[in-house]
Amino acid sequence: VNAAPPHGHVICSQRWRNAAVLQGLKGVIILFEDELGLADFHLPNRTAILYVSECDIIAGNGYKRKLVCYRNACSRFQELVLVERTRLTEQYFSAVQKFVLFDLGLTLLPVGGQVEASQLIAQISSENPFRRRTPRRLLEPSVLALVQHIPGVGRVKALTLLQHFPSIQQVCNASVAELEPIVGQTSAQQVHSFFHKPLVEH
Amino acid sequence: SACILVDSRCLSSGVELLASLRQRHAAAVHVCSLDGSYFIVSSRMAVERQSQSDLASTQNRKRLIERISSLLGLFERVCLIVEKDRTKTGEISRLFQRTRYYDSTLAALVGAGIRLLWSAGAEESAGLLADLAKLEHRKGQGISVPLEVKGQHRQQALQLYLSLPSVSYVHALSLSHNFSSIAQLMNSSIEAIQKGGCMSRPRAEEIYRFLRYSCDSALVNASKAGKRN
Repeated sequence: VNAAPPHGHVICSQRWRNAAVLQGLKGVIILFEDELGLADFHLPNRTAILYVSECDIIAGNGYKRKLVCYRNACSRFQELVLVERTRLTEQYFSAVQKFVLFDLGLTLLPVGGQVEASQLIAQISSENPFRRRTPRRLLEPSVLALVQHIPGVGRVKALTLLQHFPSIQQVCNASVAELEPIVGQTSAQQVHSFFHKPLVEH
Repeated sequence: SACILVDSRCLSSGVELLASLRQRHAAAVHVCSLDGSYFIVSSRMAVERQSQSDLASTQNRKRLIERISSLLGLFERVCLIVEKDRTKTGEISRLFQRTRYYDSTLAALVGAGIRLLWSAGAEESAGLLADLAKLEHRKGQGISVPLEVKGQHRQQALQLYLSLPSVSYVHALSLSHNFSSIAQLMNSSIEAIQKGGCMSRPRAEEIYRFLRYSCDSALVNASKAGKRN
């Protein structure tokens, strides 16, 4: 049970057979399994879900022990906790959140009940727009923008500086004598002192 | 006490939240100009705040993805406080209609490693922010440098550091307090940048390489004087 289910499948703990939570999982093949441990569901993208119901919360602190064991089981899945947030559990919600998030460091998602939970579970395995890597960009524009943060250096002087000293470090380490023929006496002083003047508070 | 940096754009929508942070949670709050309306609670953690209806609205999708992706590039940890919509006094709170779009957004956020926090209003959000800042502080990640930068030269140095790639406001703040001159940073080892900027090793490596990157003059001439990012 350490492997994630194949795409389009959900592994579900035996105890959920015939439960309302399965009705919303249309188009998904449900496999039942006895030995999921404390987790209630395993999803294809290596996500495990523990379901904390209204009854669990109202019944007292037993669910907390279950949560601790769930976290400590340290499976190779991302562990989510679905919590039923209803009119009856509203008053406990903030304490439950504190426990799950701050004490255990797990992710909590509130749901109104099993039907809502099933819709959420169905969405958890789809593709992710937030993880898209931005393509590598040229660094030249960023270097040019940074050089223009030197007081007294605009676009023209920045371009001239980079033609003679192609990296920021080289601009920084150029002596006044080296800078003078390129940007003039005043700017040469200004550029050099900007980099080398101590940054102490007065 | 907890140190929190707040973007100036949070001011108009967050009067109640800021007052609560300062008064009830005795947090040191400093308003500054970040590249988006969010909070910084430690050297590695940023916190966004969104109302539940904004999160559920398909019109906001593009903006949300942009904001979250940019935060993921700048911070090791990103949290999102989902706040219940405010109801006017006398108005019966409308039942929030959960859509498939909303669920898919939540699933995507969780999958991207965003930590979601749930809040019933500004007051509770302030408590969550303070708790996050305290927790990060206990883990040794709290903001340890002064939140303010005094003096023109230091301000200019801060602005220069902010234009380094993948450097957040809190990194730039640490750099401007921990290096005795800009030249010292420019010539520092990766280890020294990592320590002085209170940042991760990959980030320090990226800065180290950027400072030494040799520009192709043809490409420099072709490039527009771009803004940050």
